[in-house]
Amino acid sequence: MSLSTWRDDPKRELWFAWYATVAFYSLYSVVFFLITRTQPPGQPWYRPDQVVRWFADRHTGLLVGFALIFVLGGFSATSIALITYSIRRMSVSRAFAYSYLILYSISAVPGFLFICVAMTVGAMRPDRSPGLQRWLYDLGFLSFSGTMGVFLIGSLIWMAAILLDRNRVFPRWFAYLNLCNALTEVVIAPSWIFQRGVLAWNGVIAWWIDVVVFGLYTGVFIYLLRSMIRREDFGTGPLPDLPPRRAPSSRPAVEAGAS
Amino acid sequence: MTTTEHASEAARPEEGNRVPGEPDMWFFVFFESLLFTSYFCVYLYARTQNERAFLRSQSHLLLWLGIVDTIVLLTSSWVMARCVQHARAGRHELARRFAIVTAGLGVVFLALKMVEWVRLIHSGNTLTSSDFMQYYFFLTGIHAIHLLIGFVVVGVIIYQLSDARRRSPRTIETCSTYWHTVDLFWVVIFAMLYIVR
Amino acid sequence: MAHSEKTRLFVAWFVLVTITLIYLWMDHAADASAVLVASTAVTVAAIVLALVKARIILREFMDVRHAPQLLRRLSDLLVVVMAVALLGTYVVGRALA
Repeated sequence: MSLSTWRDDPKRELWFAWYATVAFYSLYSVVFFLITRTQPPGQPWYRPDQVVRWFADRHTGLLVGFALIFVLGGFSATSIALITYSIRRMSVSRAFAYSYLILYSISAVPGFLFICVAMTVGAMRPDRSPGLQRWLYDLGFLSFSGTMGVFLIGSLIWMAAILLDRNRVFPRWFAYLNLCNALTEVVIAPSWIFQRGVLAWNGVIAWWIDVVVFGLYTGVFIYLLRSMIRREDFGTGPLPDLPPRRAPSSRPAVEAGAS
Repeated sequence: MTTTEHASEAARPEEGNRVPGEPDMWFFVFFESLLFTSYFCVYLYARTQNERAFLRSQSHLLLWLGIVDTIVLLTSSWVMARCVQHARAGRHELARRFAIVTAGLGVVFLALKMVEWVRLIHSGNTLTSSDFMQYYFFLTGIHAIHLLIGFVVVGVIIYQLSDARRRSPRTIETCSTYWHTVDLFWVVIFAMLYIVR
Repeated sequence: MAHSEKTRLFVAWFVLVTITLIYLWMDHAADASAVLVASTAVTVAAIVLALVKARIILREFMDVRHAPQLLRRLSDLLVVVMAVALLGTYVVGRALA
């Protein structure tokens, strides 16, 4: 595609948002799983001296990784904005889109910033008292896992919007996947009660199985958002289906002419 | 079934080709089934590592209550299937009544569950008192949440059947598929918690 | 036609309830000695019977019997996957205990 057609493409901004979403989730995964190694979560039953060792093992990773999040974490807004846009494109009331937007904007604070702050504070001064370090450790993990209620309601809002939508922005099975995701978020609620076992914040049921479902869910909605952008006709009616795959030879000219 | 399907019908004589309800709801059925299966596997594994403790806690359950629970839900599924049959045949008012009975049986199940929970808690068996009880309350709890959603779903059926303008056979079948799933999961949960030794 | 469908549903329900009552007998037999004991036979039977019931619910109540071949095959596959996963986990767990 030549530069002029790219600049004139009305979907350009949507694609920016989509690529930013992919970048954000990739950054998130790399930071949490590889750099800071805060996921999989640490054991809830650690004694203070074990917590001190946990922080010491991850000292540099925590400071570097979460510094990256503090700088680039704003990209999470593009993901929320794009999903909100998709709900706006539906035939349902705008109230759904606004509710989703507000809920997820608020949830970013406990959802992932709290743990970043708590763990960075913990790593910053290794000579802090072990009791205090364990306090920060608990605060970080509990706020990360235990505040799932907001995401749960958000998933349900998105599900309800999709089921009521007549513009076929998303397939209905994705609405039901939202329900599955919401139900696994309910499962994390008991992590406040358990310090060990399958329902603790690092438990097989509360974390491992949940992460598999959440990972699948995230991958699916990123793919479906891409599909939506490709189908977008900037109208208010049903979104057209994607054209059937044909030989790549004639497509660019057709697309530039169509928009 | 149209006449144009005769050719394919010759190859498969007895069935129609319709998916019951939306195919999308079947995605949910398969996904949730696999999710629940993963929970059951975790439970079974934990059980094999600690058999005696699990057996001891399990003996606090009242089997007959579980049996009654199961029969109530099986009956609710039967009534729901009859409701769909009536709706398909155009007997909407009758279907609506059957849907209400289904919901009623769901309420009975929920009430029995609560009685059981209260009884267990009063005798000292809570979510945190033992590993087995943790699984018991977790599995019956998450199942109860599915049941509560089921009430909303049956509500949709009743709403649809109440008014000729709103009826959609597809929606009714989709909703009934969800309700049967609640029964489906319970049937396995019951075996897992009450019978497995 | 409608009458036979109605009867079929009733038979399905009846079979399901009967299997449920078999559990009662199984449980009695298992606890007959009044000593709590783990039993592979009871566990395997319990799981298999549960999945038999699941398949009946799928085919009769959820109408998979009249569904296209893909859905019929998928639902059977689901039951098989569940059986393998549950029984497999139990066997492996016992072996590792």
